[in-house]
Amino acid sequence: MALPKRIIKETERLMSEPVPGISAVPHEDNLRYFDVTIDGPASSPYEGGKFRAELFLPDDYPMTPPKIRFLTKIYHPNIDKLGRICLDVLKSNWSPALQIRTILLSIQALLGAPNPDDPLANDVAQRWKENEPAAIQTAREWTKTHAMA
Amino acid sequence: MPLPHHRANITYPQNAGRAQGFECPFKDCGMEHSTADCSIDVTLNKMVEVVKVQMAHSASNSANIPLRLDERLNMRNLIDTSIDVMPRSRVLHGSRIVSAFTMADMGELDYSSELSFTPLDPDLEETIKSLDVALAGDLREIIRGECECQVCYGLMVDPLTTACGHTFCRKCVARVLDHSTLCPACRRPLPMRPGATTEPSNKRMSHAIEGLLTDELAARIVAVEQEETLHEDGWMPLFPCTLAYPAMPTFLHIFEPRYRLMIRRVLESGSRKFGIIMYNARGVPQGSLGRSVFMQYGTVLHISRIEVLPDGRSILETHGLYRFRALESSMLDGYIIGRIQRIDDMPLAEEEAAEALETRGPVPVGDNHEARISHMSTQALLQYNLDFVARARTRSERWLHDSMLTAYGQPPTDPAIFPYWFASILPIAEDEKYLLLPTTSVRERLKMTARWIRVLEEARCARIRVMRLARPLELEVDEDEASQQDDDDSTVSTAEPETPEAAETADAQPATANSPQAFPSDQSQQQQ
Repeated sequence: MALPKRIIKETERLMSEPVPGISAVPHEDNLRYFDVTIDGPASSPYEGGKFRAELFLPDDYPMTPPKIRFLTKIYHPNIDKLGRICLDVLKSNWSPALQIRTILLSIQALLGAPNPDDPLANDVAQRWKENEPAAIQTAREWTKTHAMA
Repeated sequence: MPLPHHRANITYPQNAGRAQGFECPFKDCGMEHSTADCSIDVTLNKMVEVVKVQMAHSASNSANIPLRLDERLNMRNLIDTSIDVMPRSRVLHGSRIVSAFTMADMGELDYSSELSFTPLDPDLEETIKSLDVALAGDLREIIRGECECQVCYGLMVDPLTTACGHTFCRKCVARVLDHSTLCPACRRPLPMRPGATTEPSNKRMSHAIEGLLTDELAARIVAVEQEETLHEDGWMPLFPCTLAYPAMPTFLHIFEPRYRLMIRRVLESGSRKFGIIMYNARGVPQGSLGRSVFMQYGTVLHISRIEVLPDGRSILETHGLYRFRALESSMLDGYIIGRIQRIDDMPLAEEEAAEALETRGPVPVGDNHEARISHMSTQALLQYNLDFVARARTRSERWLHDSMLTAYGQPPTDPAIFPYWFASILPIAEDEKYLLLPTTSVRERLKMTARWIRVLEEARCARIRVMRLARPLELEVDEDEASQQDDDDSTVSTAEPETPEAAETADAQPATANSPQAFPSDQSQQQQ
C-alpha cells in the first residue's frame, strides 16, 4: 500500500525542522517504523540521559494513535518494564490533529512531570508516593546506568 | 447576531446550545438555526489575519507610490437602490492590490464594485506592476498555508467547517466520524451524522481555494479520486453471513478458502473493510438486485483484530462502521462483490423538526401505544428503552447474560446507537431486527425498539397469567405456547433460541474450542 501523503509530509518536516532534544528517523525498509531518541528534560532525574524508543504508525494512522514503546530502561511511574507508556493522548485522548512531533513532546513532558496517581508501573508509583526523594534517586541512577552510553 | 429564542420540543441531540435557536438573517435562507451550529470561522479568520499582516508589510514598502482609485459600481448587484449611491474616488498609496485592500478596509468599497487605477506618476507604471505580481505570489503562498487540512496535511478538498469553527476536508471529517465524535482540533462534540454528507461546504474557503490555488486543487481532486477507487465505496467485497450493526462488535470465523482470499485481500489493500449481509431466506425481492440470495441492506465492518490459525482459518474481531444498500452485485474469485451506497441518518435539522412536530400536540389519552410512543420526546423514548433493560436486569433475563454485556458493553446512552446495541442482544427474529438497517432517523429507530418492548412485555404478561392459572393444577406450561396466546397484533416473533446457553450448545464448533480465551463471548461468535 502506498504511504499516505500525511506520513510523507510529517517525516519531511521532522527532518527539515527537527525538535530540539528529540529525533525520529524512519527505517528505510519500513517508512512507518521510526527510531526515536528523547533527551531527558533539564532539572528532571532523567537529565543527561538519551532514551531510545520505537514508534510505529498503524495502517489507519492518523485515525488511530501511533504505537510507542521505550527501548531504554527507565524508572518512571507511568512507564512499565516493557517500556509501554501510560499517556492519555496515546489512547482515549488521541486526536488526528496531533502528530508524531506533538506526541513525542508530550512524552518528553511526561518525563519532566511524572504522575504517580495514574500509574502503569505500580511498584514505581508506590515508591514515588511513599518516598519521593529515594524514587528520584533511583530514577537518576537508572538514567546513568542505562541512558548514558 | 439576531436574538436567540428557546426551541420547544427538541431533546435530541443534547449538545450544549441546541435548545437555543434564531431566525437566519440572510434573506435567501430565513430558516431557524440552532445557536450551537454557529461560531467563529477559525480558519477563515486566521486567513484574513495573515493577509492583513502581509498587506501592512507591503504597504510600508510602497508608501511612496500615489495611485488614484475610481470605483465603478455594479448596478445589478446593488441591493438597496433607494439610496443614492455615488461611485467613490480616492488617492491612496501602494500597488493596486495594496491600495484596493486599503480602500475596502476603510469601508469605502462596495463588495460587488470594480475599480480602475491611474498612477499619478506615469513613470511608476512598471514598478507597480512588478510589485503586484510579487505580492500576488506571496499572498497565494501564505493563504496556501492556511488551507491545509490538519487531518490529511493536503490542500483542503471540499472544505467543511464544524460547529466549533474548524475546517477540514469533508472526506477527512467523515473518516474522523468513523472513529470518534469529537472535533480533531478542539475535542468538542461534533453535532454531525456519520458520513458528514448533509453539512454544507464552506463557500468562502471553497472560493478562495478554487480561485487562488486552481491547479493544485485540480491535482488533489485527481489524487483523491484515485485513492477512492483503490480503496472502497463503489465495489466492496460482501460476506453473506449474519446481521451486524454500526458501532457494535461482530465476531467471525472464516474457514472457506474463498473467504480466506477475500479477507486476505482486504487486509493487503489496507482498507480492512468488507460488507456483511444476511441471506435472503424467503426470496423476497431486493430492490435493484431482484430476488438475490442476500438481502440488500448490510453493514460495513472494519477488522480490528485477526487471529490466523495454523491451518489457515482465521478468527476475526470486527467493528461495525456504517450501513449500506447494495445496488448491484457480481462475483470475484468465488465471493460476492457489490456496488454499495452508504446509508446515513437524515440531517439533524430534519430530525429535530420531526421531533418537534410529533411531540407538539396534547398527550394522547387512552391505550393507543403507537400514539403514545409517537408523542414521546426522543430522550423519553431512549429512557423508555433503557428502563426496559433495567427491569429485565432486575429479573435476570437470560438474554442479558453477563457474557453478552462483556461482548457488547453496557447499554449506550447515545440515542443513535442504543437500538443497535439492543438489537444485538435481544432474542427476537432476525427479520424484525433487519428493519433497523434501512432507517434514517434516530427517532424512528427508537420507536421501532419501543414497539418490540411492547410485544415482549405483552407476551410476558400473558405468560404470567397462564402460569398463575396453571399453578393449582401443577401443569408445566411451555413458554412458546404462552407467548402465542398474545399473538393478535404482534409484529415481533419472540423466543428464538438465542440465549447464551442455547447458542453455546448449538454452536459447538472447533473455532470456539481453539481460542475461547480470545473473545469475551462464545455466543456472539458467528459461524460462517
